[in-house]
Amino acid sequence: MGSRFRFVNVVLYGAVSLWSLFVLLPLVWMVIASSKTRREIFLDPLGLPAQFRLDAFERAWSVGMGTFLFNSAIITFFSVIVIVVVSGMAAYVLARSDNKWMQLVYLMIVAGFAVPVQAVLVPLFQMVSEAGMLNSRAAIVLPYAAYGVPFTTILFYAFFLDFPRELEEAARLDGCGRLQIFFRIILPLSGPAIASAAIFQAVFIWNEFVLALLMLTKPALKTLPVGILQLTGEFTADWPAIMAGLSIAVLPILLIFILAQKYFVRSLAGLGK
Amino acid sequence: MMTDAAKTSLTGDRGRSGAPRSAKSANAISTSVLLGPALLLCGVFIVVPAILAIFGSFFDFGITSQNWEFVGLGNYGRAASDPVFWIALRNNLIIVVGSIILQVGVGTILAAILDRGLPSGSTIFRTIIFAPMVVSSVAIAIIWLVILDPNVGALNAVIKQIGLTPPALGWLGDPNIAIWMILIIAMWQFTGFMMVLILAGLQGIPKELYEAASLDGARGLKAFWYITLPSIRNILIVAVLITTIGGFKVFDLIYATTQGGPANATQVLGTYIYQQAFNLGNMGYADAISVVLLLIAVALGWLQLQISRRA
Repeated sequence: MGSRFRFVNVVLYGAVSLWSLFVLLPLVWMVIASSKTRREIFLDPLGLPAQFRLDAFERAWSVGMGTFLFNSAIITFFSVIVIVVVSGMAAYVLARSDNKWMQLVYLMIVAGFAVPVQAVLVPLFQMVSEAGMLNSRAAIVLPYAAYGVPFTTILFYAFFLDFPRELEEAARLDGCGRLQIFFRIILPLSGPAIASAAIFQAVFIWNEFVLALLMLTKPALKTLPVGILQLTGEFTADWPAIMAGLSIAVLPILLIFILAQKYFVRSLAGLGK
Repeated sequence: MMTDAAKTSLTGDRGRSGAPRSAKSANAISTSVLLGPALLLCGVFIVVPAILAIFGSFFDFGITSQNWEFVGLGNYGRAASDPVFWIALRNNLIIVVGSIILQVGVGTILAAILDRGLPSGSTIFRTIIFAPMVVSSVAIAIIWLVILDPNVGALNAVIKQIGLTPPALGWLGDPNIAIWMILIIAMWQFTGFMMVLILAGLQGIPKELYEAASLDGARGLKAFWYITLPSIRNILIVAVLITTIGGFKVFDLIYATTQGGPANATQVLGTYIYQQAFNLGNMGYADAISVVLLLIAVALGWLQLQISRRA
């Protein structure tokens, strides 16, 4: 029994280790390739560089990686704030109403969750372009927020249904209106739901590609996913610079993920509920 | 609660509860203030474009052209007789079925091992395997583009080292291989997500169930088959639906690797809509394909919500 148990353990550890290696190797290769010379990567794709160099990072940075990072950060930040506040307010009203029409409104918002942006890309682009909203960081926040609202509203709706009502009653007796109750009592006490929603939407918006590709075409306004695609055009055979650019884009988000992995996992696994 | 004035709704069907008039109108105002922004955002950026896509699919028009020519169901007829549309739809289906088998299949196995099989180290493995989920698909696409490159790629170097010959046209350049490579890259990115989703379901199975089964002689694989799988049936269905929806929506990965090539071998509905609209200027035709994608996505999304509510 003892040896059999150990044998099973070896097989199980072997299986997850193998998959972990499969996941890790491309990322490790990316970092190693970014510190090679062009010659080294061509002659020996698998080997280690003769000396660790950072000049590929300099070349990649000079294309504007800093600008892309900044654009992504600021657009993600404001989009997430709009999503959390707008969805929170809507979910609160809907969760506290048993009116038939309000249930219908809730169902319609839920239905919006099923509409993928790829399926409405053509009219969305036409509308945005007609409205003169192309090449504006502020304008892209609006569609990003819109596509984040349905799922976040579903999430908050469930959270508010379980929210203790005694506090709201007490505040109402003190003469607070609904808006005040929402902003002074509900929102400050919704930390876990807000964190979950914010992480989920931040990951999604940080990585969003197709809308950014169509709406932000000026180099100074591009976000990270669109910017790194430009790397392959900019450096036709300079693979180390391309891999360095990717490292600049990928490593910070991986670091944040590792530091807060518990919250990321909880937030993203929420999609199954 | 029922007589609570503050809960009175817009339609006023509970206004007879004796609430003062001013409280009622204050309530209506706060309802519109709280609900308005969400409805406005969703209305303008989701509902209106969806309606416009359906409307536009009956016309012929270009990106900048102002004259729309009514063609009835012409664009749908064009899709039906367009071999590339069917190739794209078939590729979506290949990605859907392949991803269900690979991502949900491997994800379930990994989740089961992490849930009960390992004495320690589960968190580290979970972190590593889930990590690609937070990375942009475009970045992942380019990393793999370089790994699969015929000249500098790591894969060819490995293949040559063990004495085999890599495909002459390249992994992504060979129309017979490219779609399978896309499937592998997608698996690399999303299997960890499926694993975590299923792991959450596994952790909800009461331990007593396993203990009882163990007394009846069901351990290991037997317990997995008779206890674990039936207990997470609903989560598995949701995982399959999420993967299916993702398989129909796939765009970033293909746009950044093959752009649908070589010779449409990796074309999917998403990339074909983009190509028709923004490279060829056939906006009406692109709208018609969009409507097909929209109908598939809405039907699947509806199903997902119905089932996950029961889960």
